[in-house]
Amino acid sequence: MTGDNAETERQPQTQPQTDDVGSTLDAVRRAASEVLGYLSDHPERLRVSVANVSLDLDWRASEAPLRAFPDDGAGQTSIAGQASVAGQAVSRQAVLSGPAAPGQAGEAPSESPPDQPGEERLPVLHYVCAPSVGTFYRSPEPGAAPFTAEGATVTAGQQVAIVEAMKLMLPVEADRPGRVVEVLIEDGQAVEYGERLLALTPVGSE
Amino acid sequence: MFDKVLIANRGEIALRVVRACHEMGIRSVVVHSVRDRDSTPVRLCDEPVQIGPPQPKKSYLNAAAVLEAAIRTGANAIHPGYGFLSENPDFADACEAAQIVFVGPSASTMARLGSKLSARALMAKAGLPLLPGSLGVMDDGGALELAKQIGFPVIVKASAGGGGRGMRVVDGPDGFADAYRETQATARRLFGDGRVYLEKYLQTARHVEIQVLCDGHGNAIHLGPRDCSVQRRHQKLVEESPAPGLSDELLADMGKAARQGALLAGYRGAGTFEFLVGPDEKYYFMEVNCRIQVEHPVTEMVTGVDIVQEQLRIAAGEQLQLEQGDVQPRGVAIECRINAEDPDRDFAPTPGAISEFVPPAGPFVRVDTHVEPGYRVPPDYDSLLAKLIVWAPDRERAIARMRRALNEFRISGDNISTTRRFLLDVIDHPRFRTASHSTSLIDEMRRTGQPAAEQAHGEPAHGGADSD
Repeated sequence: MTGDNAETERQPQTQPQTDDVGSTLDAVRRAASEVLGYLSDHPERLRVSVANVSLDLDWRASEAPLRAFPDDGAGQTSIAGQASVAGQAVSRQAVLSGPAAPGQAGEAPSESPPDQPGEERLPVLHYVCAPSVGTFYRSPEPGAAPFTAEGATVTAGQQVAIVEAMKLMLPVEADRPGRVVEVLIEDGQAVEYGERLLALTPVGSE
Repeated sequence: MFDKVLIANRGEIALRVVRACHEMGIRSVVVHSVRDRDSTPVRLCDEPVQIGPPQPKKSYLNAAAVLEAAIRTGANAIHPGYGFLSENPDFADACEAAQIVFVGPSASTMARLGSKLSARALMAKAGLPLLPGSLGVMDDGGALELAKQIGFPVIVKASAGGGGRGMRVVDGPDGFADAYRETQATARRLFGDGRVYLEKYLQTARHVEIQVLCDGHGNAIHLGPRDCSVQRRHQKLVEESPAPGLSDELLADMGKAARQGALLAGYRGAGTFEFLVGPDEKYYFMEVNCRIQVEHPVTEMVTGVDIVQEQLRIAAGEQLQLEQGDVQPRGVAIECRINAEDPDRDFAPTPGAISEFVPPAGPFVRVDTHVEPGYRVPPDYDSLLAKLIVWAPDRERAIARMRRALNEFRISGDNISTTRRFLLDVIDHPRFRTASHSTSLIDEMRRTGQPAAEQAHGEPAHGGADSD
């Protein structure tokens, strides 16, 4: 989705075309999700700005994760100028904040009214990840009802799936409360350690 | 031959096995921790599988996760490399139960040889000379009596020990009982097996080992000796083949002994018989290593045998194509281990980011490494960055080539120190040059404040640049 630079630069920055904004944000969101997938600890705040794309992650000093990607002990990681989205001269910021600080989601400076199409706010997502390499199961046994489903609310510590490794059934538990936005893995599919299984959003933030 | 082999290791040895697989037309699976997901072996293999977090216990030592990855990728065999699960009989058993070939000896052979006490007993039966010491478990009182009999100094070793850990030299009867009990406690803590044994400690000895290959069909050959006397904290730093300054007769005897021991133990695969050689050219069996060793390349360089490929062929059930007479070592190969360690701080590891990494090249130079610029030396694993191996027709020229290659090697980065400069001092040390060194060379160098190699030979202007 690389845009034509010459053309996009002619577009007034305050009135970006809705499609461009939408697709750009979509690409940015995918890139951001990918980066989040690499992290062992979720940041307190993740900020994406689109023109000359930059992606900033912040961790609270008190709980600074020492296993951040790619720099151990880094408080901030920036990945700038990704070609896939850099072509869009859209001046807009989206803030994807960790559920620990949902209030910061409102920080995105808007140059157009929030309800305008294209002013899509990235959902606040938290991922429940695989505790082991193995096979992912949504229900306790074949034919049984799944532990949880899209739209359902889960509590911290609630079992949401199973990962089976060497005939050992490892319960997958939600590590924080939330609403299941998406189950990302098909029942019975192989997963690697740390692979994202379910996307959660904090209850009440939708 | 296998279609697909899973490599349950990391770093340079994982890469070494990936390369062997690809040369043999075998697909390679590399299991890795989160920490290593961007590493060279992961990138070069056909199929990476992330099996756990950085901690080795939860990834590279996690037998269930490794087997799960093998099953789901349809691997026919698992190559364990060295360290991690490579000498774990339970893991070899579990592989067999899962109908996956473990590249190494059988679980029972590994168990018998892995316990140094039972290995000593077995090799005594095979007629291999042992150092005077205990053949069974003793209490500290009995051990003290024995120590007095054989004469101090003695070394107390954990039966399940390895990697230079769980051993202690005792100089006299004072404090012997304490040292004995402490080694038992350490052994229990490190290896879950508190059994220790006693051996006469040779202060000036050479560490010489014999590489063997056995196919499990009754064929066994040895690939000659390696001298690994240059050690710090009982861990090797420089290795070479053949072992210099020892008579051909002695080396031939040791080769024969190793072959004999391997056959009696029912050994299968590549293995190493470690010996100590005293100043009187008497040799003593120490232990068997049931795995590929870090220093295997020096043997490859002088024999032309690809030991990792041989391991895979043997594991696939093939017969050895080589006979003892085919093994005609040529010239001299030396290996230096470039570790991320600070020789000035007792070889303390220096994890950090490597910004510049330019390995040497040129004729008869081989570098086995997984490192590239931008690599972060993880704090979770061992500190080996690269193995620098050179070959030449004779030892003098091999040392000159090693000096040239070490000088070419450029490694630098924040907080990174390496053994590179120290290795230059070692290979230019008069004792090393004249092959009159022993396992205490490094201790000697540190005690006497060995003059820097730079003073003797001058550091070329383009010489390597460690950050220290």
